[in-house]
Amino acid sequence: MKVRIPILFACSIVVIILSLVVVKANIGETVATIFTGSLGNALKISGTIKEMTPLLILGAAVYLALKAGLFNIGAEGQYLVGACFGSYAMIAIGGPVGVAVGCIVGIVGGALWALPAGVIKAYRNGHEVITTIMLNSIALYMTRAIVAGPMKGADQHTASTSVMPANTQLTPLLTIGKLEIPQSFVVGILIVIAIGYWLNKTVSGYELKAAGANPTAAQFAGVKTKQVTVKAMMLSGALAGLAGALQVAQFEHRFYDGFATGYGFDALGVALLAGSNPFYLFLSAFFFGALNKGGTAIAILGVDKGITMVVLAVVILMFASVRYGRKQVNHG
Amino acid sequence: MVDFLLQTVTMSAPLILMAMAGYMSERSGVINIGLEGKMLTACFVCAAFAPRFGAIGGVALAIVAGIIISLLHWTLTQVYRIDHIISGMAINLLASGGTAFLVGSGIGKDILSDAQRLPLPLYYGLAIVSPIILYAVANRTRFGLRHKSVGSDPDKARLLGINPQTVRFGALICTGIFSGIAGSLLVTETSAFTKDMTSGRGYIALAALILGGWRPIPAALSCLLFGFATAVQIQMSGKPLFGMEIPSEIWKMLPYIVTLLALAGLLGRNRTPAGLGKH
Repeated sequence: MKVRIPILFACSIVVIILSLVVVKANIGETVATIFTGSLGNALKISGTIKEMTPLLILGAAVYLALKAGLFNIGAEGQYLVGACFGSYAMIAIGGPVGVAVGCIVGIVGGALWALPAGVIKAYRNGHEVITTIMLNSIALYMTRAIVAGPMKGADQHTASTSVMPANTQLTPLLTIGKLEIPQSFVVGILIVIAIGYWLNKTVSGYELKAAGANPTAAQFAGVKTKQVTVKAMMLSGALAGLAGALQVAQFEHRFYDGFATGYGFDALGVALLAGSNPFYLFLSAFFFGALNKGGTAIAILGVDKGITMVVLAVVILMFASVRYGRKQVNHG
Repeated sequence: MVDFLLQTVTMSAPLILMAMAGYMSERSGVINIGLEGKMLTACFVCAAFAPRFGAIGGVALAIVAGIIISLLHWTLTQVYRIDHIISGMAINLLASGGTAFLVGSGIGKDILSDAQRLPLPLYYGLAIVSPIILYAVANRTRFGLRHKSVGSDPDKARLLGINPQTVRFGALICTGIFSGIAGSLLVTETSAFTKDMTSGRGYIALAALILGGWRPIPAALSCLLFGFATAVQIQMSGKPLFGMEIPSEIWKMLPYIVTLLALAGLLGRNRTPAGLGKH
């Protein structure tokens, strides 16, 4: 077991280097560009924070489900539903009240979108990964139909809502020179802290962890595991929906076809990488955000962004195998 | 009408081949979220090598690539014991990122000529025959019975002297072969590789497998149903039904909604292999 993980590590590095060699890219230059493109100056760091914000909230959502023993691949769909209906409410009402109502609509929408997955898992034993993938596709097509039809802005030529009025858009909380700290980023930080507190210091949080770690034992100890499963899934969906609504209010200012850009899948990586401590979500979301931002920068060198996805996959595998190795030692 | 039938076949054939790939892996107990990535890799390899090595060479290399990536899946789940879902997702990420990266850098962009493609009826024939073959293998051969027993209860199989890892090794090789053929079929139909060209077919195949209760022939019939729904959508797009405009997205949602209902147990009892995801 001890030899195997270094082998995996070595193989992964060889794969990444080989793929760069195949396309005749300059390896040093590529790596350097990823760094300067994501952290080079205040403007680039703001971009990294922008990439990191939805990943942080979605990562927290997936993390919560993961602690209850659920793989919420559906964060993407819940994010879409939250963004779609949230933006509708924001545009219809407008102003700060509109943002608040939109966020609530996003939360409710996300939670309801996750509900079938939770119920099917708890009472019908259908695997949540399959149901959430199905719900993702349904959400994608449904929001596309809505934004191309009833929600299409009168002044838009593509499938998109009209841009929200300025008083409905969230402004950055802090601006230091070119460095911007968005409000939704602060919301994300608060959510992670709240989840850390809830999971470690409260009875219901402990019940959720117990149901995830060993459902049979938890059931014997009097935890209603089925209800906990449904609750965890809905909470996870609610957070993902909130992430979508906040994304509209803070950055995008409209909802359009193609709104989802794979944040939901990245969020699974963020949550897995965070491992046992919820506060590691900051680090892993930062890592994914920086890699996303740096990935766009290497396009100038003629290297496709896809290489960063390969790196992410490799990192996820590495952490998953290391964690298993540790488990092996504990259980002899 | 002929158009419509042809479209149903065109849409279902890759799904059937992919569902059979999923069948081999899931019946042996390896959860296969990675079908999408396996199919995409095969598409890319076929498109990249067929211009140089000809039609048969392209398909052969696509099958080899399918086998390699399936064995990677085997190594991750059986040797490193990484969670099946995580390894499947990682394979999808690797395939999607890796092929986008290579195509973005100018590899595998050629458009295939007729000489570089095998005739389509050959693939369609395979898609029709393979579920029947797999049904026979599952019920009539030693390997088939071991394959099923490992998927149903790896611990009891181990007591009977069957090594689950070995059986799964064989099963995942079969998954690779089917993925390779399915990927080549997709490239043959469109004659070029485009980024993320499988567009969720791997997931739909998995859905068909579930709807078919993890049995080859019902799974193939579910694929036909999904293919039919797609063909209906293509034929109906832009045409009103009973005086109402129905957006094509509604038709596209159909397979996923049907699968959800199947998973909720509203379409017959749950037949999940008991050993799915166990070691």
